[in-house]
Amino acid sequence: MSASASPLLPKEDAREAALFFVACALCFLAALSGLVSRSAYAAADAWTTDVTGQITIRVRGDDAALARAVEVTIATPGIASARAITRAEAEELLQPWLGAGGVPASLPLPRLVAAEAVPDVDAKDLVVRLTGALKTAGLETVVDDHLVWSADVRKSIDLAGLVALTAVALLGATGIAVIAFATHATLLARRDIVELLHLSGAQDGFIAGLFERRFLMLGVQAGALGALMAFGAAAFVLYLLRQSDAQIWLLPQLSLSLADGLILGLAPLVAGVASMIAARVTVMRSLADMV
Amino acid sequence: MREQGLAADDPVLRLDRVGLSYGPESDVLADVSLSLPPGSLTFLTGPSGAGKSTLLKLAYLGLRPTAGRISLFGVDTTRLSRRELAPLRRRVGVVFQEFRLLDHLSAYENVALPLRVAGAQERAYREDVVELLTWVGLGDRLEARPATLSGGEKQRVAIARAVVVKPSLILADEPTGNVDEEMGDRLFRLFRELNKRLGTTILIATHDMALVRKAKSDVLRLADGMVMRVPHTALALKEEPT
Repeated sequence: MSASASPLLPKEDAREAALFFVACALCFLAALSGLVSRSAYAAADAWTTDVTGQITIRVRGDDAALARAVEVTIATPGIASARAITRAEAEELLQPWLGAGGVPASLPLPRLVAAEAVPDVDAKDLVVRLTGALKTAGLETVVDDHLVWSADVRKSIDLAGLVALTAVALLGATGIAVIAFATHATLLARRDIVELLHLSGAQDGFIAGLFERRFLMLGVQAGALGALMAFGAAAFVLYLLRQSDAQIWLLPQLSLSLADGLILGLAPLVAGVASMIAARVTVMRSLADMV
Repeated sequence: MREQGLAADDPVLRLDRVGLSYGPESDVLADVSLSLPPGSLTFLTGPSGAGKSTLLKLAYLGLRPTAGRISLFGVDTTRLSRRELAPLRRRVGVVFQEFRLLDHLSAYENVALPLRVAGAQERAYREDVVELLTWVGLGDRLEARPATLSGGEKQRVAIARAVVVKPSLILADEPTGNVDEEMGDRLFRLFRELNKRLGTTILIATHDMALVRKAKSDVLRLADGMVMRVPHTALALKEEPT
């Protein structure tokens, strides 16, 4: 005899297998979207950090003009440091496009000054002042304001992150709706049990608890498997990128960091709790129709 | 017509001018009044479709009446919330006409169901449930699933489930309707024993008039949406049409 061993709500293998598959797929997509979203924001932060405060000045003229441009730049308030980029450094920058030793000696390379602004300076104002100072010094220069294009990059990546977050929210809402629908279907299919328990004096919480536990377990298991699959997919993409040494500009770079682990670890918990709440609300609403 | 002669200071079940309708022209019960004194064993008879099952359903709080008042154990249930009704239901044992056994549970587990609902631990009730199933003649079928039980066995499991919490009131809907006469007599003896040994108030809805005559208990006759009491001493009934 094992009265406590048999669940009062029997398992319904066919329907629950289908539900598990759907929940698992949703958790997989949600976890993957979460990873993409986090990576997008991380990439945006990295981009911003990299370019913040960096200014490049192209100088027309000879080495003397370049040296003069460095002096004027350093003397401009708001500039922390400035130095001329050597021809060797310039050739190195062009190497990905022209190959090693691919720059003929006769090819005139632009003379460049790399400057760094002091932290928290108003970059736009600094660029205006620096341009004015260089012009006053009689130098023909173009000051590249990284902020313009970095802001565009930031916006693009923020948008990608927002899209991914929206996908997470939509997938979560879909998952909750699916669980609520499945709970309702189970409730209808096993109305005999619900009624018998109700007429035996069971409180609503007792009956709802049967469904809550059932769907909590289903959510946790589906979430765990979905997260595991998302981890596998991310790791596979990461592996392919590293194998091909690919640099995909403007796309977030998957990293599988601690934060990614947190997303993957939270997925089963969130899926379980969301399933449990969806089941409880559905059952309590249905029971409210009974005497 | 109001039920008369069953006056009691504190009836276990009392219906005062209870009516149930599903629309203006569809009265299931028109004006039913009755009371069951503690320790009584009463039959509820009437033609098929008279509303016996509905009346029992009202009594075990499976329905709310559209008119009148139902009191259980001296408590007026009319204005009680759903939460407040649950403890009252636990004091009522119901034998459903269609048994309502759960197919995925064994006979033992089916009988133990109300105890699980009440939050009891298995070690506390194991012996009682086994003893009860033995008492109804199913001591060797504890692990049997309902699908493998005969009609009479199912009925006995349903009865055991109804009495396992030692309810103050048992409501049985056609408890002998699916069994032969011999089994019917045997089941009735179970009710009689419960009534005598534990003083449980019992209301049995049946159209088995042979059983009613043999039982020599009071009879409530339900017809045309109303109840009339027929003392067993005045019982000279013909077979009810079914």
